[in-house]
Amino acid sequence: MTWRALSTRGLAASAVQSLWLVAPAVVTLTRLLSGRDWTWPQITAACAGAAAVICAGVLAYDLARLRTTRWRLTAERLELRSGLAERRHRSIPRDRVRSVDIIASPVRRAFGLAVVKVGTGQHGGDGDELTLDPLLRQEAEALRRTLLEPGAEAAEERDAAIARLDWAWIRFAPLTVWSFVGGAVAVGALYKLVGALGFDLLAWQTMAGAWHWLTDRPWVAVPLVVAANVVFGVVGAVAVFAEAWSGYRLEREPGRLRLRRGLLTTRSLTLEERRLRGVEVSEPLLLRLGGAARVKAVATGLRKAGDKETEDVAALTPPMPREPAWEVAARIMGGAATPVLLPHPKAARGRRLRGAVLDTLLLAALVGGLDLLFDRVPWQAWALPVVVLPVALAFAWDGYRGLGHALSRTHLVTRSGSAVRSTVALDRAGIVGWTVRGSWFQRRLGLITLTATTAAGTGHYDVVDVGREAGLELAAHAVPGLIDPFLRRH
Amino acid sequence: MAQLSLRPPRHQADPRAVAWWTTRSALAAVPVALGAVAAYWFLTGRAAWLGALVAVFALFCVFLAIAGPRASYRVSRWEVTDEAVYTRHGWLTHTWKVAPMSRIQTVDTGRGPVQRLFGLATVTVTTASAAGHIKIEALDHELAASLAERLTALTQAAPGDAT
Repeated sequence: MTWRALSTRGLAASAVQSLWLVAPAVVTLTRLLSGRDWTWPQITAACAGAAAVICAGVLAYDLARLRTTRWRLTAERLELRSGLAERRHRSIPRDRVRSVDIIASPVRRAFGLAVVKVGTGQHGGDGDELTLDPLLRQEAEALRRTLLEPGAEAAEERDAAIARLDWAWIRFAPLTVWSFVGGAVAVGALYKLVGALGFDLLAWQTMAGAWHWLTDRPWVAVPLVVAANVVFGVVGAVAVFAEAWSGYRLEREPGRLRLRRGLLTTRSLTLEERRLRGVEVSEPLLLRLGGAARVKAVATGLRKAGDKETEDVAALTPPMPREPAWEVAARIMGGAATPVLLPHPKAARGRRLRGAVLDTLLLAALVGGLDLLFDRVPWQAWALPVVVLPVALAFAWDGYRGLGHALSRTHLVTRSGSAVRSTVALDRAGIVGWTVRGSWFQRRLGLITLTATTAAGTGHYDVVDVGREAGLELAAHAVPGLIDPFLRRH
Repeated sequence: MAQLSLRPPRHQADPRAVAWWTTRSALAAVPVALGAVAAYWFLTGRAAWLGALVAVFALFCVFLAIAGPRASYRVSRWEVTDEAVYTRHGWLTHTWKVAPMSRIQTVDTGRGPVQRLFGLATVTVTTASAAGHIKIEALDHELAASLAERLTALTQAAPGDAT
């Protein structure tokens, strides 16, 4: 097989993308020069020059990168040679390929390009992922098909989609913490950015006037600012949802799951089912109160989210109503009905409630200590423990209600958490060991925390505060023969 | 209904472990205790109540360094069968770990500088799970070497890619 080049159209895309560097440079330069009595034609010329230099630099780098990068697909391996100063040769055996992701940002889409990431599903190491940036869209699709379907090009008859987007779900988008703090964070970031470019917003007459007007009227200003913050956060959350999940479709192809989504940047993620060790249904508090949940994959060697990717690579669905989410989870697991979860002993509830009281007492002691030391703690500070106690107790109660475990024919199911309630169904065949923990307090109450270790996801999934007998019984049944020789019945 | 519990693993850690662990925790605890006393003596007005507090703290550090290893020794046990590695450790929180031979990926032996003084070694067994490694601490170093050899042979005999 011959070595192939990346798409030269990538140069055009890089040229457009270099504008991201040009824009701030031009703004800074304009500001700097206009402060030094340059005339506008001179400033324009200087800016054009700077833009040309930056653009040329980016193009030169990219040209060198494209010229030196070659890839090929042989019968056994996918190989990539790259590197300007330091040559690198990487190769992945084709039978090790576990995922092929195709990601196209708006600029690349306009040029008919896409970035392909090929993963082997191995943990860590250097040779676990190979990126082809960029290929023509058709090339990318063709590569995905050949890599994942050796020999069988025509597997077009697909099972029906497991899930597709229902725009009504967008009502769940604002149910994140970002809706409340997102506005403030964005304004802060914007202020920093503008400041970094050399402007002082408060120096402007109108801004300063608005600032004074606001600070003079706290009873109007505070609700106004809070409301604006929430409106901004909600609009932002909805926009992020629309960008990320527009065109969402999760479908089962033979032997794997394929997820497609994205409005501006389109993403196509393919996950081999033999890498899948289970599913997680995650319900953060706000989503749970809204009756929603999201489904995540528990898979081995999932690509870690890059610096620029804020989203969860394991996410299989957007926030969606709870019942359909469970149906999606069940279909991913192969149609197995989720068993009814068994509750944990009442002792686990007592433990949580006592913990909540103890934490509040510690907080009160802290306030008292500060009061004693500094003699200046306002009496309102004592409201803190008073407010915290019922909240802590509510979380403790809810945390206990969330505990549960069950064993189905194929999966171990465990649920825990209050702020983020998470239910994990772990493939019993994917369990690579057990850890049993009993703290001094747990041992007194006859409780243990049973941890199933696995190669997938976080590496361990806990059955928290389960009764000792029930927990050991569960471990013995989930993986027959593993823990049995170490059990004692008496 | 029959009572169900985990039985202790068959073998205890080497008795020299107590000396090693005491040395190790003393190396951490003594500087902390001395630091607290020195800070009290040189940096404060040497108030009596603070002195009592510092003394209690220093004594507590020394107590931990002496009592901790002894309590740990009573809990630390290990066992290797043809099918699995089984250990128990922990002082306040008891932790039992089981890993099947078929899922073990690497077997390492390690000897720190202090550990070498006492002729001890630690065998670490890792599985495909990021959270699944098992340490058998404080074995006689020759025993550790032969155990690592045996474990390697057993894991190679087990089929599968261990994930």
